[in-house]
Amino acid sequence: MVKDLFNIIVKEVKELVRDPTLILGMIIVPLILFPLMGFAMQTSMKTAEESMRNISIAVIDLDKGSVAENLTNFLITLNVRIVEVDDSNLTEAVNYVQQSNLTGLIVIPSDFSNNITEGSKAELDVYTVFRGGGIAESTSSSAISALLETFEERLVFQKIGEKFPEDPETVLDPIKTSEKSIIKGKSVDVNPGVLFGLMMSQSIGMPIGIMMLLMFAMQLAATSVASEKEEKTLETLLTLPINRFTILAGKLTGSIIVAVMGAIAYIVGFNYYMSSFMGVIPAETGVDLAAIGFAPTPISYLLLGISLFVSLISALALAVSISIFAEDVKGAQALVGPLSMLLIFPMIFMMFTDIYALPFPLMIVLFAIPFTHPMLASKVAFTGDYLTAVIGIVYVSIFTIAVLYIAARLFGTEKILTAKLKFKWLRRRRRMPAEEP
Amino acid sequence: MNLAIEAESVVKIFGSIHALDGLSFYVKPREIFGLIGPNGAGKTTALRIVSTLLKPTSGSVKVLGRDVVNQASEIRGLISYLPEEAGAYKNLSGYEYLEFMAKFTIEDKQLIRETVEAAAKISGLEERLKDKVKTYSKGMKRRLLVARALMTKPKLAVLDEPTSGLDVLHSVHVRGIIKQYVEKEGVTVLLSSHNMLEVEHLCDKVALINKGKMVAEGSPAELKKEANASNLEEVFAKVVGFG
Repeated sequence: MVKDLFNIIVKEVKELVRDPTLILGMIIVPLILFPLMGFAMQTSMKTAEESMRNISIAVIDLDKGSVAENLTNFLITLNVRIVEVDDSNLTEAVNYVQQSNLTGLIVIPSDFSNNITEGSKAELDVYTVFRGGGIAESTSSSAISALLETFEERLVFQKIGEKFPEDPETVLDPIKTSEKSIIKGKSVDVNPGVLFGLMMSQSIGMPIGIMMLLMFAMQLAATSVASEKEEKTLETLLTLPINRFTILAGKLTGSIIVAVMGAIAYIVGFNYYMSSFMGVIPAETGVDLAAIGFAPTPISYLLLGISLFVSLISALALAVSISIFAEDVKGAQALVGPLSMLLIFPMIFMMFTDIYALPFPLMIVLFAIPFTHPMLASKVAFTGDYLTAVIGIVYVSIFTIAVLYIAARLFGTEKILTAKLKFKWLRRRRRMPAEEP
Repeated sequence: MNLAIEAESVVKIFGSIHALDGLSFYVKPREIFGLIGPNGAGKTTALRIVSTLLKPTSGSVKVLGRDVVNQASEIRGLISYLPEEAGAYKNLSGYEYLEFMAKFTIEDKQLIRETVEAAAKISGLEERLKDKVKTYSKGMKRRLLVARALMTKPKLAVLDEPTSGLDVLHSVHVRGIIKQYVEKEGVTVLLSSHNMLEVEHLCDKVALINKGKMVAEGSPAELKKEANASNLEEVFAKVVGFG
């Protein structure tokens, strides 16, 4: 039996790995697409930085006072190109700013310097040219207000300095807070904000990775059974002196091997994409999660591994059971497609909310979905809540045994040859455009 | 005498369709037995039951003394089945496909190599066996599959339209191989075919079935004599109702 199983696994992996469409979709696309997306992201960030460095502002100075002069000089020292505009007509000035590709326009009213010197509130009119919704545009639009805020801080600092010449900084910022976190009853010298950022990067990445892996595996297993039907190889296979369960197990194992390869490609590509614009947060913060007891222990890794494994088997068995009813690969994919909702639904909740904070009925629905549990296990691995992970594993294992039993039963009967769900409505819809005159 | 196949009053119902309606036939060892009949007569269903793919709704089928329902796995170790529209794994090479199939019935590595070499000769594909199956023409694929069905020298080969899609020369070659395996290796063959010339030249015994029932049985010569016909095509037309 082991020899037969190995023979089938080798055949399955060869067949899947040599399928050009599969390789393109599973391995090449993520390894090329994600880095390309990351490159596009980096390029637009660089463009945004460039546009920050090359800010050109038109100024209508109706004040001509000392503070107004200070303001323009301050902007010049920050490498801002200042274009003096004729003060007689605002409409013409606005047109000029738009046509000359300037970032915006600052109108300094006549009483600006006077109001600031007198201690009254002074006003400035700022016009920013709206050019589009990209990252570069959004950064350049906020640039003018950022520059003015810096100038404002300088003014406040000057005023405070006049009254408290010894230490104006302490007057401005009299309290220094030192933020620490409490983890598992222990005080840790780490800012909770930093910790939260780290946790977020983990809790977003893991559910996405798990979802990807399970989705690939399901599609592969469904394709593997359906292509045997489509290519008319199944009948021959079923008359060979092999246990039907061996055939099923071989197909499941072959799909797992290829799915893991695909998932690794996806995760590598996705990590590159994330790191290309998020920066390397953990390295900069210098926080060692393991040292503060906030990293997965060997036990939690083991539990996460078991949880993932049983979920993978259940996803595959589910896909195989369903694809038995399909006549061809397209039919199998159409049947398995809706199952992806069982993966996306828990993934979204896991990424953005705490499952225990949800309304009770929704929580029950999520717990009933077997694929919620590996995602939950990836979360509790950090907090050391092993019991939740173990309960999840037990639940998914029972579900898996039940589905495997059904799959094996279906594989053992003639249903595998005679069951045919036809997608007449689907085919009609596909054919319709060709039928139109 | 032990029979290779004993099919008694076999009925197979799919929903409202009676594919087989009390079919009985007996095949002796080392015999080439042909099932002929019009489309939808139940030939493929009969072959699938003998090959343990389907279970009869009623009646009994014994293959090499074993029951197709209760001893299916034993039967699978003794037979080889070639479906009419069979395919091969398109991303494997011809050699890899033959080797994959041989490994299920043969343990010894040397014997596997010899079996695959024998299959290479049967198929006549030679160097093309190194190429992937997806590059093969329909005829080449069929030759590969016939070779696969015979290479392990099964006790019973169940061949559904063995020469379907083959040109005249390759059909003659395949028929010669089938005869050779029966005479030299003691293989029993149950086949179905639409090609009456093939049936006449190849089969020791022929069963003509229509609407799931046997309508005539005998050697080609006996059938021709009984129907006063010059060839099996005429016999077929007369018995089925076009005569």
